[in-house]
Amino acid sequence: MSINATVASELELEPRVVVQGPQSSPESLTVVTTFRLYERRLSLRPELSETFVEASADTFVLDDSTAEIAANSPRYRRRSSTFIDGVHDVPDEKNSPMAPAQLYSTMSGRLFHSGRIAIVLVGLPARGKTHISVSLCRYLQWLGVKTRVFHLGDYRRATMGPGVEVPDDYFFINASAASVMLRQKILKKCREDIYAWLNHENGQVAIYDAVNPLANGRRSLAKEFAKHDVQTLFLESYVTDEKILQENARSVKISSPDFIGMDPDDAAQLYLKRIDMKIPYFETMEEIDLNYVKMINAGERISYNNVSFGYLSHRIVFYLMNLHIKSRHTFFARAGTSSQEDSYKLDAHLSEEGAEYAKQMSETLLEHREAERAALIASGGSDAPLKPLIVWTSTRKRTIETAEYLGGNGFKVRQRSQMSQLNPGVCEKLSERAIRCMYPEEVALHEKDPYHHRYPRAEFYKSYHDLAVRLEPIILELEREQNDLLIIAHESVLRVLYGYLMACDAMSIPTLKFPRNEIIEIIPASYQNEAKRIIIPNVDHNIIPGSPEDIKILVPPSGAVSPMPGSGLGTPAEPIINLSKDTLAPPKITNGSAKEITTDAKVPIPPHKPENPLSRD
Amino acid sequence: MELPRPSKKTNGVGVQVEDTQICVVMVGLPARGKSLIAQKAQRYLRWLSIDAKVFNVGNYRRNDTPHPTAEFFDTTNVEGERMRRAAAKAAVSDMIDWFKKGGLIGILDATNSTRVRRRWIAETMDAHGIETLYVESKCDDEDLIMSNILEVKTTSPDYIGQDPEIAARDFRNRIRNYEKVYQTIDEQESDLTYLKIMDVGKRVIINRIQDYLQSRVVYYLMNLHIKPRSIWLSRHGESEYNLGGQIGGDADLSERGHRYAKLLPELVRKSVGDDRPLTVWTSTLKRTIQTARFLPKDYNQLQWKALDELDSGVCDGMTYAEIKEAYPEDFAARDDDKYNYRYRGGESYRDVVIRLEPIIMELERSEDILIVTHQAVLRCIYAYFMKKDQKLSPWLNVPLHTLIKLTPRAYGTIEEFTSSGIDAVSTWRGQGSVAKHEDPPASANTLGSAGDGGA
Repeated sequence: MSINATVASELELEPRVVVQGPQSSPESLTVVTTFRLYERRLSLRPELSETFVEASADTFVLDDSTAEIAANSPRYRRRSSTFIDGVHDVPDEKNSPMAPAQLYSTMSGRLFHSGRIAIVLVGLPARGKTHISVSLCRYLQWLGVKTRVFHLGDYRRATMGPGVEVPDDYFFINASAASVMLRQKILKKCREDIYAWLNHENGQVAIYDAVNPLANGRRSLAKEFAKHDVQTLFLESYVTDEKILQENARSVKISSPDFIGMDPDDAAQLYLKRIDMKIPYFETMEEIDLNYVKMINAGERISYNNVSFGYLSHRIVFYLMNLHIKSRHTFFARAGTSSQEDSYKLDAHLSEEGAEYAKQMSETLLEHREAERAALIASGGSDAPLKPLIVWTSTRKRTIETAEYLGGNGFKVRQRSQMSQLNPGVCEKLSERAIRCMYPEEVALHEKDPYHHRYPRAEFYKSYHDLAVRLEPIILELEREQNDLLIIAHESVLRVLYGYLMACDAMSIPTLKFPRNEIIEIIPASYQNEAKRIIIPNVDHNIIPGSPEDIKILVPPSGAVSPMPGSGLGTPAEPIINLSKDTLAPPKITNGSAKEITTDAKVPIPPHKPENPLSRD
Repeated sequence: MELPRPSKKTNGVGVQVEDTQICVVMVGLPARGKSLIAQKAQRYLRWLSIDAKVFNVGNYRRNDTPHPTAEFFDTTNVEGERMRRAAAKAAVSDMIDWFKKGGLIGILDATNSTRVRRRWIAETMDAHGIETLYVESKCDDEDLIMSNILEVKTTSPDYIGQDPEIAARDFRNRIRNYEKVYQTIDEQESDLTYLKIMDVGKRVIINRIQDYLQSRVVYYLMNLHIKPRSIWLSRHGESEYNLGGQIGGDADLSERGHRYAKLLPELVRKSVGDDRPLTVWTSTLKRTIQTARFLPKDYNQLQWKALDELDSGVCDGMTYAEIKEAYPEDFAARDDDKYNYRYRGGESYRDVVIRLEPIIMELERSEDILIVTHQAVLRCIYAYFMKKDQKLSPWLNVPLHTLIKLTPRAYGTIEEFTSSGIDAVSTWRGQGSVAKHEDPPASANTLGSAGDGGA
């Protein structure tokens, strides 16, 4: 542990303490995770938790040492698990010089001749600023733009220390001298980190997540950035729709002891009123001399002013057109097995056991959703009905038929042709051993760069990178979707989509595994996404393994990441006994924790699959 | 005023990209660049292999009234009003037929200046399950309007053969007639999906985007401006590799290539017509940087990785004869479908088009630009401006040592060619032809040759 802490601290902005997360048994998975989600939401929204929520031993599992970490958390860490969103990770550029959907690279590390940009958030609490910052960061990183989010709240908390509130007049225009000093001290530290990132770490975009309520303050901020040769784009989230405010407020206020026993609507009202009292002065952006994008009512309308500095700012508006600030879950599942010896070209129907699998998977998912809702209500959460569930499949028969059970139960199913898998090319019908014999050069090339390598005849040599670029419409539709979503697709497609939502680096994407006895759930939180496995019970061991049409060549151990436990490609997934600690622990605790550099990385080349693995699926 | 809300497919139900059909409705007074925007959008979408078509209401109206005077557009002119409405109906009806055949994005190019007209379009399209996206170009810049008027009076079919002075006066009167009834899109129409561009793109409002495809269209349109401008294109000077018939690589210029580089500033100055500086974009490869290096110091130069030559992967540095020898199947496959063929470990033309996205967007945002790049990249950029289809564009013959000037106009792009007079090898090879560079025959699609409509 201490070694990990040292390794981690070298890479991070500040040293900090590392502790292990609490132990949990798999049985309590659902409840615990749901609970932690809300707990995290509070702990990650310092302006909320400090002001309105008193941490009590009953509601929080945080002990003194974790609170200490929370206070000093620099937010940037080395990746500790693929179950935790990598959006706040320090990228390991030695391993992945290119981001998943990056089209080209430059010596300076900056792209599109867009220079260095500060994206400055504007908006009161409960307007989705953190969610917007983090989502935008994830998207820009995916495109290869070196982007980092700086949450001013983190700095505020680090300066104040655990559990200490800022003075009442902290946000006031006529604040006392002491409060003004404090404000400046906190701002200074955050600003220094932003300049360090832009000037010394090849950063291109710094996203500055703060309230920035006043026009004058924003003007001087833009001036200050300009002095450092950084262009400023303000990004305001402005909400006039009471319903959206209420919904946001309800989703954050829930664990606060202040509101226990109150009618949820009244509680939300009270909460919003307190924000207004805390930050009484707020001017929406009207400064025609500044570059700004204003998202009104969670993207219903976007207006922008004088955004004159290039490709990247327009690309950002393009992304924002597809973003909403509502919270919804995404599930990934594999298609069932087919009746005939499987082949990309045959596009066969589901077998009987495949249909049985589809039913098991669907029922497990539906039960899980109900259980999650029950757990949420039990923990004092909203008793609103479940969001509708939409199913997306590719246009392959197996995936469409896997969704039929849900379709028959009234769930909406959509086929998306962009989600068709990688055509495996000449390697389609070959075992890994045969591929190794016949195409030693291709194997060598593939092992060198499994993400970018294109196998001969594979749809004109398509690689994961090509797939990631092609999936752009799906990724933006994924952002648009407001209902819960189940995606049933080929493993290669699931890998790329998972890689996007969890901000995986390019090299780890080809190694992600989606065994058939698991549904992967992605739970969004404003600070970061989190993934979770849902085990489908009693799945025939023979149909669990990774997809057979996929090219089964092992990625050499890189020492960088372990995709998921039991990651050897071509080997059946290990039965899931327990979830790794970092899956359950809040992110600040997972920092540098035991799984940081996993032992899986040292696993030798796993045994080749026996005979022809293709015939098994 | 209580307006009926059209039922809409919302983004909440995961509208599939290929299910979505969009009617893009242009809105704005005459001379605000609507036709230019409509034409550009069509060109861009087709370049991305998305089926798009402009329906110009003026063309329908001209069937009955080829050369109307301004009075025709006076709203109190009952007959004029009736005929204009009939033209709009005919255009919309044709568009719906086109959608039924699988069209994806239809662009209705007309003033659509009243709420009533816009509501009628929304309801008509909605009845056929087609989304509407209104695009308003609002501009009060007198100079810009005047320059558009000047262009219209010289290029619009309405004024063919007329005295330009009279034409300009009449056109201004026509605009005044429209101004009387013009209603900009505002809060009263907040249920519509629209993009409103004001002050030449300085202020933009985007309202109720419903799906990915709409966001993609809006993204492109946001980058457009309607100021007059030109784009100059040149290949790099002849390189050492060109001499040996090798492809790819990062070779230096040949002696003749250097001569072209020295002459280029003079060619550019003559073509620009005055001393205003251009912005120059090159690739990151030596041969384009060397070609641009004698351009005046006040020309701002940028290197774009995205402008690098098509990556020929394992074939980089080989001659066509060597490729045919080493990879006969690949050689044949490339001849068969050059646009989609991807070199082993390299790129296809389709890949190049995808990576050019930032270039095209920046190019649309910018004003006068000179691009010094490579054959395949130049083919793609040229195809974008000149509407060349995928089958043809990879086979275009772009001669070395020639400066190309493109000027986008509302009714098409004007091209001009200036040859330097410095000899160079040919780097062109015909489809299904011998495995080496050859001199293009008269039948080849040579840029700037008489057959291609060049100047």
